[in-house]
Amino acid sequence: MKLLTHNLLSSHVPGLRPGGGFPLRIELGRPSELPPEPLPNSESDEEFLRRVHHVLLEVEVLEGSLQCPDSGRRFPISKGVPNLLLSEDEA
Amino acid sequence: CPAGRCGWVQPGMAEAAGDAGLAPAAAQEGAELAAVIGATVPTGFEQTAAEEVQEKLGSASRISRDRGKIYFEVPARSLPQVHRLRSVDNLFVVVQEFKDYQFKENKEDALKDLEDLVKKLPWTDPLKVWELNNSLKKKKTKRKKHGLQSPASREKLSDGGEERGADQSNSNDQEDCAQNPVEPADGQDTENPQAVTSRNGVEEEEEDNEQSDVKVEVQASSESGSKAGDGQTGEGEAKVLKFRVTCNRAGDKHSFTSNEAARDFGGAVQEHFQWKADMTNFDVEVLLNIHNNEVVVGIALTEESLHRRNITHFGPTTLRSTLAYGMLRLCDPQPTDIIVDPMCGTGAIPIEGAAEWPYCYHIAGDNSPQAVKRAANNICSLLRKNESKDSSNALGVPLDIIQWDICNLPLRTGSVDIVVTDMPFGKRIGSKKKNWDLYPACLMEMGRICTPGTGRAVLLTQDKKCFAKALSRVGHIWRRAQTVWVNVGGLHAAVYLLRRTWERAEERRPFW
Repeated sequence: MKLLTHNLLSSHVPGLRPGGGFPLRIELGRPSELPPEPLPNSESDEEFLRRVHHVLLEVEVLEGSLQCPDSGRRFPISKGVPNLLLSEDEA
Repeated sequence: CPAGRCGWVQPGMAEAAGDAGLAPAAAQEGAELAAVIGATVPTGFEQTAAEEVQEKLGSASRISRDRGKIYFEVPARSLPQVHRLRSVDNLFVVVQEFKDYQFKENKEDALKDLEDLVKKLPWTDPLKVWELNNSLKKKKTKRKKHGLQSPASREKLSDGGEERGADQSNSNDQEDCAQNPVEPADGQDTENPQAVTSRNGVEEEEEDNEQSDVKVEVQASSESGSKAGDGQTGEGEAKVLKFRVTCNRAGDKHSFTSNEAARDFGGAVQEHFQWKADMTNFDVEVLLNIHNNEVVVGIALTEESLHRRNITHFGPTTLRSTLAYGMLRLCDPQPTDIIVDPMCGTGAIPIEGAAEWPYCYHIAGDNSPQAVKRAANNICSLLRKNESKDSSNALGVPLDIIQWDICNLPLRTGSVDIVVTDMPFGKRIGSKKKNWDLYPACLMEMGRICTPGTGRAVLLTQDKKCFAKALSRVGHIWRRAQTVWVNVGGLHAAVYLLRRTWERAEERRPFW
């Protein structure tokens, strides 16, 4: 799973507050460096843009999980594919 | 060798009377070799294919009345680019086209005319094109062998019995047998439907038995066989070419069948060239396409159908890449568009999308773990293919897969620009009853995730009735913009282009 995809995902556990469920917390199988906060006026800095592009599109989470910030429900990521299916009782 | 030196005909020009054929401008001494190419495309997407040809080759296309085919002229050196077209299934070089061929009423006479035609045709240049094409194919085969077939087949074996053989050298056309739909006969007798053949002689099974599989026949009687053999004398080097004739015939006024035409035409070809007839192991495949009074003689340039190119792991209903390409083109993807296939199956559409529209971002999802696994495998195969070309790009494929439920997508409202998918067909997956409930729920969720105003959806379905009903219930979020009638595996299906209205969706449907 790439970070850009993560940006579009939100938890769909039933009964959340409006606007809830986003963003999902990424929990990694093993520790890894995540980029720091972006500086203002970064859009014209080509070097920075390259790093952002790399992080968004070329870094993959292979093993780990996504956690709903409101309900705490965890969704596993395995072999790079997040499983966001709810169980029958949840849905 | 006779050569008709008529110029290229524009549609609308007055046609020569009778059966005076119109041949493409023959290459003059020293002039560049030009080829008139015929391409088969998914029916309904002829216009899309013509646009791609214009865009990538700069040539205008003619769309023939025989649906599912376009014709265009290019310099022979453009052949590599022609092979890279994404909207075409098969290619052939035109030997000659007859816009208004007058068939004799009597069967014997009609067939005799076809036999006599062979020696009058301008074979020279098209055969040169065929030769040139062969040298291109040899390069491709070498690369394939080096490549990555073995990991793919290893994966395939581990997936178990559901997989159909994904051997790349056998184009398995079971899904899409009818590349050219049967023309409804006007008269009473329904004559043979068109011969449907695959390039390497593998018999295709028809899905619904709507069309009998009329296979190619060449008169390979023992006599002519040995004649060809005897003719081959001590010119040790010159190899005798092997050939077969494939005839597609449609129309209700012909006195002969495609089998008979192929047989007699083939006999004359054998006489003329002293080639050897061989059904399965041929070098040259001569095409005889008859559509009412339109006759086109051509030589095949593709062996396996291009439409399975991206998929090494098949599922029960894998969509062909050419159809996926046509669907994607229909929604006119713009750079930075987010494109989602929420029922991706083995991933045919998103994979085609990522390959051809790399400046968009593609997300594929399915609820079935098998589908997700296969899609992931197909993407890996694609990545490995890319790796051998350009290692710096290996990771940068703008494509992700997620396991999810179409009726409750874990995507933010209004976050997606395009939804494109192959909706479950009642007959092959799921059931008609399930579709009744599924379709409205799908359309609602797709509407929620799609950007109001600018968003669009391209949806393929065979269950047109159910779809129309579901659409009528969501008129406040989707408007129908265009419909393309297509043929998928012998089933009549439709591709709907929908536009998202400006109305904002509710954040999420409440579940209690």
